Amino acid sequence: MRWQTLALALAAGALPLLASGEVHAVSGELTLYTSQPNEDAQATVDAFKALHPDVEVSWIRDGTVNIMAKLRAEIAAGAPQADVLLIADTVTMESLKGEGLLLAHEEADISAYDAAIHDADKTYFSTKLITTGIVYNNAVETPPGSWKDLEDEDLAGLIAMPSPLTSGAALIHVAAMVEHPDFGWAHFEALEKNGVQPQGGNGAVFQAVAGGEKLYGIVIDYLPIREAAKGSPVSFVFPEEGVSAVTEPVAILSTTQNPDAAKAFVDFLLSAEGQALAASQGYLAAHPEIAPPDGFPPLSDITLLPFDAGKALADDTANKERFSELFGG
Amino acid sequence: MIPRTRNASASFSAAEPQRWHLQKPGGDSIALGLAVLVVGSLCLLPLVRLIVEAVAPGGTLDLATVERVLARTSTWRATWRTLEVGLLSMLVSLALGLLMALLVSASDVRGKAAIVFAFMLPLMIPPQITALAWMQLTGASSPLLRSLGIAPPPGTPNPLYSREGLILLLGIQHAPLVFITVAASLRRMSMELLDAAFLAGASRLQAIRYVILPLLAPALIAGGALAFVSAIGNFGIAAMIGIPARYTLLPVLIYERLASFGPTVLAEVAVLAIIVGGLALLGVLLQRWLRARRDVTLDGIGGRPLVLPLGPWRPWAEAVAWLLLIVVLVLPLLALVAAALTPAAGVRLTPETLTFANFHQVLFVQDVTRRAFANSTTLAGAAALVLALIAVPLAYLIAWRPSRLTAALDTAAELPYALPGVVLAVAFIMLFLQPLPLLGVSLYGTHAIILLAYLAAFLTLALRPTLAGMAQLAPSIDEAAQLDGAGLAQRLRHILLPLVGPMAAAGGILVFMTAVNELTVSALLWTSGTETLGVVVFNLNDSGYTALAASVACLAVVAILALMTLAQWVDQRSGLGILPWSGTADRGD
Repeated sequence: MRWQTLALALAAGALPLLASGEVHAVSGELTLYTSQPNEDAQATVDAFKALHPDVEVSWIRDGTVNIMAKLRAEIAAGAPQADVLLIADTVTMESLKGEGLLLAHEEADISAYDAAIHDADKTYFSTKLITTGIVYNNAVETPPGSWKDLEDEDLAGLIAMPSPLTSGAALIHVAAMVEHPDFGWAHFEALEKNGVQPQGGNGAVFQAVAGGEKLYGIVIDYLPIREAAKGSPVSFVFPEEGVSAVTEPVAILSTTQNPDAAKAFVDFLLSAEGQALAASQGYLAAHPEIAPPDGFPPLSDITLLPFDAGKALADDTANKERFSELFGG
Repeated sequence: MIPRTRNASASFSAAEPQRWHLQKPGGDSIALGLAVLVVGSLCLLPLVRLIVEAVAPGGTLDLATVERVLARTSTWRATWRTLEVGLLSMLVSLALGLLMALLVSASDVRGKAAIVFAFMLPLMIPPQITALAWMQLTGASSPLLRSLGIAPPPGTPNPLYSREGLILLLGIQHAPLVFITVAASLRRMSMELLDAAFLAGASRLQAIRYVILPLLAPALIAGGALAFVSAIGNFGIAAMIGIPARYTLLPVLIYERLASFGPTVLAEVAVLAIIVGGLALLGVLLQRWLRARRDVTLDGIGGRPLVLPLGPWRPWAEAVAWLLLIVVLVLPLLALVAAALTPAAGVRLTPETLTFANFHQVLFVQDVTRRAFANSTTLAGAAALVLALIAVPLAYLIAWRPSRLTAALDTAAELPYALPGVVLAVAFIMLFLQPLPLLGVSLYGTHAIILLAYLAAFLTLALRPTLAGMAQLAPSIDEAAQLDGAGLAQRLRHILLPLVGPMAAAGGILVFMTAVNELTVSALLWTSGTETLGVVVFNLNDSGYTALAASVACLAVVAILALMTLAQWVDQRSGLGILPWSGTADRGD
């Protein structure tokens, strides 16, 4: 509730800005393709519509990899439906940018942010920090503390993991782990020996652990942290070696029919109000002045695994194929 | 799954002698031309396009894709598993369907109408909802078992996520198909068949084993083939159970390749689609061959209806029937409701934790649910209306203007229905992904592509009852009108439509009931704004929102119950007897 109050306070603070004419009235139709969970996507869209009542927003949700496949099919059909993309990772955005499919939003106000997290050409903007760590069911006796703990034979058949063929965050996690000197592909080979069967997205992994079908899961942070607060019998740990992270970037497709509304949507996500909304939904906001939600350690305490975005982009298909070969996908 | 009424097809053959054309056949030629155009482009063109994509992806013959796909272990593993699961689940369907048919149509158990209605439900409940309900019934996370305190300890894998789980659920889902064909066959038998056996001192079990079962062979073959073809084409259960079990069947392999790799793998999935289509056609052909060898004619025997009094065993038989229905229907649905009322994953459901928040979320917060209800009813309604209208002139041509061409039209109309839905969906993507010639717009991503796929898939559902209606009419009515100088359009409107309209409308109802919960076709064709009900349940569960998925599923089941009750009421009031199960419980109740 505390966050909703903050969101309201910030909204009130933002109103004078609106009144000053900084945001001009936009209207028309806007289609959003996102990998956010349904409830969060709906809440984000609803908050945007409260500010811009004349914009008719429709949205669909699927795993980042699946959303991209759908978008690729539409591009092949010559009619991409999406105006705005809000997906897990910047690697995918970088490849779209390389193909000239993204529209630069020059006027976007990113002065409050660390410049390094956004695209220098202003084609995509990070909105959050979403880390991948370990969730466990509170029924377990010894909570895990390290990625290495998942390789323990005692945990055979008890671990769930999202598929990088569905989830963008999982794809980045795989890319980060296989480049790590202490892990590499041997880590996933050990997981495979331990009976890990990657399937679906992070939501499915969380469900399996919360329900008790599995006891441990490799999963993004906010689902278990948020649901534990609602009573789910789970806990989330940031493993000692560090966590992989995605930044849920937003971008406008160059084929958009409604660039004004699309830009307004991006502006909203980057605004203090949009960032406060993300925090109230349980996300680590990208905006440095928004405090982390309950259940998160301070940002300074979170260690990130090293990550080479260029290498991840170059190895994208090879990683997917090697992974699906290893796990018999 | 979808009800298949084929009992009418045998009544019309192209063998009927050519009638004198009393009038210049101008109207007929135009109608025939239109029929060829419509049926050809809906039912044949997509399949031709599919085959071309597989063997000549670039426009010239190139078997490299075929070789690459056939060289993969995953292809053969999925093919073998599809065949295995299809055959074993067919055995489950045969056992369940035969048992229920014998109880309902050949014994004196009470409450037959209720038993039939309850047993038909699994057929009308979409497979993804059946799977979701069962997933909530078994395993450590089952809200129902947990609230009763009898769930297995955390860390126990869900026994449903296995080959056996797939076989069981597919078997239950398609058991009504066996039930319908076997019950129809039992209805044509009479007690006289058994008199000799009883005179010779046979027991009731012996009479069933040596007299009834051999006579049921054709029905069992037909029902078994339907169950097999439906099982190998099933997507809802194959995906919801098979993906967590990592037991990938062909339709799921096609879906996963397309969902993860997009249009770059179209040629590959075309090859996979042809394999699964081939398996289905193999099933149909095998069935025809077997039936041709063992056909038994029962019509015209007449006499006392076949009812074996169970005597003191009757309460036991009734208990078995109802226990079976409780296990296959009531318990999973209870688990589904329990899942919909759970506040957060893993929370134990008690009167204190119970919440309607999930229903509130899907009904009043999530736009997508309302959109999906609207999309599904509109698409299914439009398909039902268009097909009922097409069915009348098409049935006229097939029944009263028989020729080799109209016979071919008849077969072509049935082809997409016999093929797994995923094959049709892949074919439609290929045909309509590129912008249409002349118009320059692509149908991909619009409601139109889903509607066209429904028209192709369910044409035969509207055509069969209409043809059955035509069979009861004497063509002399039409000839008299022709003599009076009425053109084809006039005769269609003033003679045929009033006479076979009700049958076409009944066919339309079947189309609506089948299409409104359909997932297989729309899972591959949906996009922003065109989500169907089936897609929403599937995606919510896929994203880990089991409670929301269960809430939508509960609402869909309520809608199905209402539709079935309405259809049954219309069916009985009008005396049409068009529902696949109508008449099954008529006797000895």
